Amino acid sequence: MLSTVLIFREALYGALLIGLACSVLGVYVVLRRIVFVGAALAQLSSAGIALALFLAGRQFGGVLTQHPTALALIVTLGGAMFFGLGGGGKSGVPPDATIGVTYAVAAAAGILLISKATTGEAHDIFLQGNILGITHADTMVLLAVTVPVLVVHFIYYKEFLFVSFDPETARTLGYRVTTWNLLLYFTLGLVIAFAMQFAGVMLVFNFLVLPAVTGLLVAHSMGGIFAIAVAAGVVASIVGFVLSVPFDLPSGPAIIATSGALALLAWGVRRIQAR
Amino acid sequence: MTALVTFDHATLGYGHRPVLSDISFDIPEGDFLGLVGPNGAGKTTILRAILGSLAPMSGRVTVRSGLRFGYVPQRDSVSYGFPLKVLDVVMMGRYDRIGLGRRPTAEDRRLALLSLDHVGIAHLADQQVSALSGGQKQRTLIARALVGEPTVLVLDEPTNGMDLVSTTQILGLVRELHEEDNLTVLMVSHALNEVANYVSRIALVLEGAFRIGNVDEIMTESTLSAMYGIPVDVERFEGHRIVLARRGQGQATHDHA
Repeated sequence: MLSTVLIFREALYGALLIGLACSVLGVYVVLRRIVFVGAALAQLSSAGIALALFLAGRQFGGVLTQHPTALALIVTLGGAMFFGLGGGGKSGVPPDATIGVTYAVAAAAGILLISKATTGEAHDIFLQGNILGITHADTMVLLAVTVPVLVVHFIYYKEFLFVSFDPETARTLGYRVTTWNLLLYFTLGLVIAFAMQFAGVMLVFNFLVLPAVTGLLVAHSMGGIFAIAVAAGVVASIVGFVLSVPFDLPSGPAIIATSGALALLAWGVRRIQAR
Repeated sequence: MTALVTFDHATLGYGHRPVLSDISFDIPEGDFLGLVGPNGAGKTTILRAILGSLAPMSGRVTVRSGLRFGYVPQRDSVSYGFPLKVLDVVMMGRYDRIGLGRRPTAEDRRLALLSLDHVGIAHLADQQVSALSGGQKQRTLIARALVGEPTVLVLDEPTNGMDLVSTTQILGLVRELHEEDNLTVLMVSHALNEVANYVSRIALVLEGAFRIGNVDEIMTESTLSAMYGIPVDVERFEGHRIVLARRGQGQATHDHA
């Protein structure tokens, strides 16, 4: 079993990096109650990839369509900036409705575009991704994206925390709340855009939500919630991946199932603590 | 006394829609001002202009250079889902002094504990803020405002949703901070009866109308009847002023909260 796992070690490294970065950002996603922004951004990213494949099949778009991630990045960061600026809340449409509209339209656009794309990575990319296809070069790209994002979040933890917990007071103390929000959403968009092409919508969304929820269920401090979320993301990646290889299961859903089991375990621990 | 904040014929509003027109007043050093009015009348608009997040459409709002506000937001505007201890929340009041990307030091922690002690809840420092009662949460937010060593303490609806005991305790604490620490205080509230018995001056904001003066000037039947647009009685009971709408007159042209 170990030798089989070792064959796919780059896939494991990739899953670990995606799990680690998404788990950290997921703490803000869950605590700020913007869970579906994560889903909408993942969906926008997949629509970006689909658009790149669609255009590439028509010999259109040049460099942008040769690297689907480039277009996915542009579309995702555009969405991230839009949500970071309030998601059109001033237009009278409730922000959660805007998120729903974005999710539905991006999902439909992605499927329509991929169905007419002549170069195809099929529909798997939208749901399961292709985590086993991660190469050494892909791992390096993921490393180059996730490490700077995590460093920024480590250095400016205090600032991200304050503008998330109480933006009104932060503003009175001179914090540029909109700028910090945009930086938070930018890092979120960046990680999602790169993670999406390997992990797919479902796994990225899982990493953004379940590890943070696991942490929230048992931790009593911000440090605790980050630590448990990261541990849950890493453990789910390893266990889910290792189990998926010998049992010939799709890796993404196996990792998600493990994340779900960990969240359930955390819920049980919380029930016991509450007694 | 020196004016800390000056409104000079200021018109305030959003986009092209003015909310309050041509208002002029000062907040002098050592003032204890109650900004009172129903929801939607323009209290928050004035507050935003003072805190610098809203520029006047015309006229001027001048804030003395170097002035530092200790802001206490509405209790429920804070996200209590964050697993933060009381001390962590109070420490936030020093974040701008600590500087970008730096971590709080032992000195910041000591000052935060002192601030908690000042508002009488040092024993709750290690409690989860989400587990506190409304009054304790309010004291935490006041401690956070104080730890930044403010020139002006600004409280937005500090007693909203509180019972009689907590309301009295919080208003008593604010008055203590004003009297003993000689702190300038601006308190925003919709509850005239509560505020009038604690503050020195009242600014009344009602549907675009604005009137400011000492409590004795504002708390008269003629002034309040004219401002509210219905006959109002002002009764005195053991040193307290109580404002009552005259019975049967409440369904006149106005519908205030």
